[in-house]
Amino acid sequence: MNDLWHVTALSLLLEGVHCRYGRHPAVHSVDLDVPAGTRVALIGTNGSGKSTLLRAVLGFQPVSGGVIEVGGRRAGTSAQWRRRRGEVAWIPQLRSTGRFPLLLGELLDSSGDGAAARGAAARLGLARLESRGVHTLSGGQAQRAWLARAVGAVAAGAGMLLADEPTAALDFAGQEEAAAVLTELPVTLVVATHDRAVADACDRVVEMAAGSLREVA
Amino acid sequence: MIAELLALVPVQRAGFGLLLGAIALPPVGVLIVGLDIYPVRFAIMHVALLGSAIGLLTGTDPLLWALALCALAGGGLAPFATTSAGLSGAMGLLMSLAIAVALLVLSISGVNANGAFELLWGSILSTRPVDLVVLAVLAVAIPALFWWRRRDLSLLLHDRELAACSGVRTGPLTMVLLVVIAVSIAGAVKLTGALLVDALTLLPALAARRIGRGLTGMVVASIGIGLVVAVAGLLLALALDQPPGPVLVLLAGVIALLAQLPPMRRT
Repeated sequence: MNDLWHVTALSLLLEGVHCRYGRHPAVHSVDLDVPAGTRVALIGTNGSGKSTLLRAVLGFQPVSGGVIEVGGRRAGTSAQWRRRRGEVAWIPQLRSTGRFPLLLGELLDSSGDGAAARGAAARLGLARLESRGVHTLSGGQAQRAWLARAVGAVAAGAGMLLADEPTAALDFAGQEEAAAVLTELPVTLVVATHDRAVADACDRVVEMAAGSLREVA
Repeated sequence: MIAELLALVPVQRAGFGLLLGAIALPPVGVLIVGLDIYPVRFAIMHVALLGSAIGLLTGTDPLLWALALCALAGGGLAPFATTSAGLSGAMGLLMSLAIAVALLVLSISGVNANGAFELLWGSILSTRPVDLVVLAVLAVAIPALFWWRRRDLSLLLHDRELAACSGVRTGPLTMVLLVVIAVSIAGAVKLTGALLVDALTLLPALAARRIGRGLTGMVVASIGIGLVVAVAGLLLALALDQPPGPVLVLLAGVIALLAQLPPMRRT
């Protein structure tokens, strides 16, 4: 699968990143250097700041201090953020489905490479569900759908994948399949996870604790 | 008796206006449902009242002032649309400020407040040619916008972050949608009156939400329901010799309720 893609993995650099919700600090002075092509597992307890950190990379969480670079580039303007979001595939934490019906096929096509996303969806057991609303899928199916979308985004040229607990709603077989798909992708991977199989498949493991980051392995 | 009534010019204008409204306004309801901004109707109605007051003060067409101010208000709300809570708060503030300024304008100008409030109590039987022009523009522009940007709209209405990750320019598109919603509500207020504006906006959209799959299906279904409500509602009102507005709302409400009966599909 990887041989068919012409993807350039991108590096990620975080320097002194701070994020806060009002007065409450969520991410405190985080430094992280991820060379292109590296797979990093981000572990930590609930509320430790993992999701906030990943969302900050995409500009969905305001940063109150520090520097974030993807592929050596910072983002500030709307155009730069659009570029960033094209370069970085995203699997959000499973949440209640969107407030408006969206068909699975539309979700897959939004990746930029609908054919690759649909192929991944079929591999993940979602064949023939493309005309179903995302809101009618189970949690596990929805998570597979987002994973398939991420495959499409990588096929469309994204050089990095940020995944926020992408296997949390999957059964054991699904977790293994998802871990295999995640680690096959020829991109830089930063995955927030509580899944040991996913963490074991990564090159590095870092832990968030109370908003700070430390190297584990 | 219905045939005689249909021969009257005001009734013909009302029917034509309702048909145009049934094409333009239900998709706006779909936007309101999708963006989860139900209170926007009330906020915009207050802004329309302010526009009407300024029209009376300056001796110009109150409807045009209402449309212009509502367009500005819709655009002004856009920066708050990054979160649903932010938009709700902004709409509440807008509603309070608009009614306060409207009452002040009416007081200072010394004009009869009833004139301004006429906009809110609008009746389809008092539809003027200029109202039809406004509705005709909306009936062309709104479905065209939905067709042209259907991918972006589907993603934005489902999840703002998904849309942003998919290359959608969420900020400008949200601003366009809010302006469209505001202008459409101002136009609908004149057609059906403020209290009955939901007959052609929200209620068809709520019914279509259970019938149509995806954005395109919902928009088509909402327009179909709107047309049924408009035609059947007007004919029923004429047959019963009752005001059209309440009949339209009740009919749309019954359809919306019936649409809730089929169970949701699940895998």
